[in-house]
Amino acid sequence: MVLLRSVPRPSEGVRHEQGETTAVLDGKGLGAGTLYVAETRLSWFDGSGMGFSLEYPTISLHAISRDLSAYPQEHLYVMVNAKLNDEMQENAHDEEDEDKSSEEDACEGITEIRFVPSDKAALESMFSAMCECQALHPDPDDEDSNGDFDGDEYDVEEAEAEHGQGDIPSFCTYEEGVSGLRAEGQATLQRLEGMLAQSVANTFHMAGVRTDETNGEFDDGMEVDAGSTVAGQFEDADVDH
Amino acid sequence: MEVSHSIRERTIAENSLVILLQGLQGEVTTVDLRDESTARGRVVNVDAFMNVRLEEVLYRDRRGRLSQLADLFITARNVRYVHIPDHVDIMETIQTQLTRIRRVRNFAGEKRGRKEYLKKKN
Repeated sequence: MVLLRSVPRPSEGVRHEQGETTAVLDGKGLGAGTLYVAETRLSWFDGSGMGFSLEYPTISLHAISRDLSAYPQEHLYVMVNAKLNDEMQENAHDEEDEDKSSEEDACEGITEIRFVPSDKAALESMFSAMCECQALHPDPDDEDSNGDFDGDEYDVEEAEAEHGQGDIPSFCTYEEGVSGLRAEGQATLQRLEGMLAQSVANTFHMAGVRTDETNGEFDDGMEVDAGSTVAGQFEDADVDH
Repeated sequence: MEVSHSIRERTIAENSLVILLQGLQGEVTTVDLRDESTARGRVVNVDAFMNVRLEEVLYRDRRGRLSQLADLFITARNVRYVHIPDHVDIMETIQTQLTRIRRVRNFAGEKRGRKEYLKKKN
C-alpha cells in the first residue's frame, strides 16, 4: 500500500504546472492532483496536499505514450531508478549496496509512474519541461564529459584580456597587428621590413645572367662576370621555348 | 542540425565523442539502456551530457514487452550503447559537427562578435 505524505508546493523554478493530472504509481491510481515540474525536483500532490516528489538524478527516463494498446490513456511515463516504498522515501539502490551490481538493482528497484493529464495537449509541454530540468542535473559520477571544462561559463572578454589572440590562429589586418605591438615590437618590425625590402632590391640571379648589383656579402665565387659571356654561346641550342 | 547554445556544452562536445552522437540527429537508431531495455527511434537531440532524446520510438522493456512512445528522453546515465547506423560515416560526421561548432564560434567575423577559446581549469 502506498502512503502519501504532505508535499510542500514548490515555490520557485517551476517550469510547468499541470492540474487535473492523475498519478498512477506502479499501476496503482492515486487520484487527481497537480504535477509540478520544477528545476529542483518533480512533485505531484492531490487536493489535500498529499503526494510525492522525485529527484531528477533518480529518473532514468521519461516519455510521452500515445500507444493506447499499452495503456488506455495518453500520458507522461516516468521510470524512476528507485523504489518508492511505504514511507515514500526513495532508496536509490545504486548508492547503497556496493556488492550488488547496478544491473541487478535496475530490475529490483524501479518505479513506473504515469501522469495522466485531462488535457492531452499539455503532454508535450510537460515532456519538454522535464527534459529541461533533467538537463540541469547531469550525472555527478560521470567524469568523462565534465573533466576540465566544469565550472563557470567561459567569459570571453576575460579570456581575451588574458590571452590576446594567441590561442587560435586567426587572421588580422595589418593595422590590427601593428597596433598590438609595443614600441620595441614596432621597431623590430620596421627593421625586418627594411631588410626584406633591401633583399628584394638586391635581386641576384644564377650564373650567366646579369645581376643589377653585386653584393659582396653573397659572393661565393660562383657568379659569372656578365661581361665574359660569349655572344652566341647558346645558339646551337635547338629547343624553342 | 543545431549546435547547443551553451558555451559549456559546445566545449564539452568538442572534446569528447559525444559529438558523434550529436551528429546522429535525424537518424533512426537503437539505444540500448542499462537495464537492457532498448529504444529504437529517430534521434531528436543528444546533449553534451549524453542525455538522448528520441521520437517515434519502439520501446522494448527488459521483459521484452513492446510499446510505442511518441517522445522519449533517456538520462545519460542509463544509456549503455547507441548504435551507429551502418550508412553513417563516423569521421565525416565528427568533422561536420566540429565545423558547425566552429562556425558558431566565428559567426561574426574578425572584429565583431565573440571569439571563444578553449580554456581549461587549472
